[in-house]
Amino acid sequence: MKKLLSLAVLAALAACEPSAPPDPYDVSKMDFTSKAAKVTAQGHKGAFAEGAALSMGAELKRLDAAPVKTVRLDTTHKVIEIAPGVKFSAWTFGDQVPGPTVRARVGDKIRFVMTNRSDEPAPVPQLVAAPMMHSMDFHAAMVSPQDKYRSIAPGQTIEFEFTANYPGIFMYHCGTPMILEHIASGMYGAVIVEPRGGYPTKADREYVVVQSEFYVKPSPGKQKVDGGPLYVLDGERLRAAQPTHTVFNGRHNGMVVNPLAAKPGERVRMFVLNVGPSKTSSFHVVGTIFDRVWMEGNPDNQMRGMQTVLLGSSNSAIVEYLIPEEGSYIMVDHHFANASQGAIGLVSTSAKPPAQDLEHHNMQASATPTDPDAVAGKQAFESKCLACHSVGGGRKLGPDVAGVTKRRDPAWLARWLKEPEKMLQTDPAAKAMLKEYNNLPMPNQSLSEAEIKQYLKYFQWIDAQPPGALKTQASGH
Amino acid sequence: MKASLLSAALLCLGGEAAACGYCVEDKIAATYDHAVVTRALQRGQHLAFFHVDGPEPRPEATRRALEHAASMPGVDKASVRISADLLTLSLAFDPRHVPLAAIVERLDRRLSARKLSVLPLRIMERPADLTSVKR
Repeated sequence: MKKLLSLAVLAALAACEPSAPPDPYDVSKMDFTSKAAKVTAQGHKGAFAEGAALSMGAELKRLDAAPVKTVRLDTTHKVIEIAPGVKFSAWTFGDQVPGPTVRARVGDKIRFVMTNRSDEPAPVPQLVAAPMMHSMDFHAAMVSPQDKYRSIAPGQTIEFEFTANYPGIFMYHCGTPMILEHIASGMYGAVIVEPRGGYPTKADREYVVVQSEFYVKPSPGKQKVDGGPLYVLDGERLRAAQPTHTVFNGRHNGMVVNPLAAKPGERVRMFVLNVGPSKTSSFHVVGTIFDRVWMEGNPDNQMRGMQTVLLGSSNSAIVEYLIPEEGSYIMVDHHFANASQGAIGLVSTSAKPPAQDLEHHNMQASATPTDPDAVAGKQAFESKCLACHSVGGGRKLGPDVAGVTKRRDPAWLARWLKEPEKMLQTDPAAKAMLKEYNNLPMPNQSLSEAEIKQYLKYFQWIDAQPPGALKTQASGH
Repeated sequence: MKASLLSAALLCLGGEAAACGYCVEDKIAATYDHAVVTRALQRGQHLAFFHVDGPEPRPEATRRALEHAASMPGVDKASVRISADLLTLSLAFDPRHVPLAAIVERLDRRLSARKLSVLPLRIMERPADLTSVKR
């Protein structure tokens, strides 16, 4: 009898225990059903991007409450400016790079439509790529790629839908071969899926930052845009994963010129997506610490007190941080070779960030040569030399290159760039420089004649700038 | 031949399943040339896109074999596009002079020495209209 009583008590106790919260990842409650995609020859002539769930820039619109998000992102070919003087023949979603950000919530249905408008007449047709097939691959979706992500021809329209089952920040991109070229040409963007119950914190500001690389060269056909060279995809650099520009939101130093706003004491929620296509990002904000990092944009994947967040291609994270005081807080890819290629931006408590901040952080804001050789020289210099040399920022491990074309003649510089080790044995000036710089020899970079010419053009351009025109480029953090 | 026909039928009926592991439309994209498409349709020609099946491991040899095989009356030689990477062939032809079935038959015959064959994936008779091939 006692035994029976004990069992009854145990059963009663078990019944009183609070039931476990529902599993938000219960696959039986997810929606994997969707109608077959529909492809038609019906074109579209209206806006290239439509939908209440879309945000066009870094500042994110609040979540649209509608449970069904109708989104149009048409594909276009157009010329975009990725850096001052660098006008690139791009391929886009929604006529912009990166494409607009889609915002939804777990359980929402995304009803997507896309017309391939790469065949639409461009103002200067020879500047844009020939019409071609494109497609859409949403990482936020769980659907048959053969049905939903099929490529469509110019003039065709595809429609399909999917349900957002997992929270996160997901990449979308064109998946048409060669995929690498389609992504590197600008065909990517972000889908933000909020948890069903929202985020566990309250943010004052929400921004999306999409990091990507460009691989460009002046057009072999020497086409001009607004008097400068047209830049096209550099296939060799692309396959070798040697970008010419690494940028946030499609623009070299774009958010330095137009900083994101925040006030002291505010909590900033930043949705960071590294689309690559081939480089890793070590995302950092100078002057603050990430209070929370939600890897892949999912609060269930939480880390606290992070200084950087490491994102491979197509990885993402929400980073939240406080703005402690007045100032300009610098977003960088802490792989500083990437930062020096343009992956830099500001979150500023003032509308126009004070110039000394930029100087302190030693990142060139805007001055860029337009001569293609000088541009290539600048890019190579920033990739290989900034660790040891500054541009107008004084000596580092090696001399400041500002003024170098006035200190040395071009033939000497060319020999020095080509064979520094031989010069150190025979040339008195080289020997003196070695002694002055703590016997630290300049490494031979195995530069070709063409590359040396580009470096010299860049150095000549630097020395032709009026005093104060260049921001200093001395060091990273 | 029966196996090829069966594969082709599966490709067409299944819509997007591709024997090579790539989506049909992605294979088409590999040889899609808008200038060729526009010119061909203006002339009343049709475009045909084929999957190339077979063991040929050398891309250049495959390319040469396909170029040679596609050179036939009724096919616009300048329209021939080949992706050796994605094993796709496309061409414009004049349906008033040569039906698609005859092109397939001739291609298969000419490629048989290399143990290659073609499977028609899609045909384009009007702008922006890629349709399955009825056999």
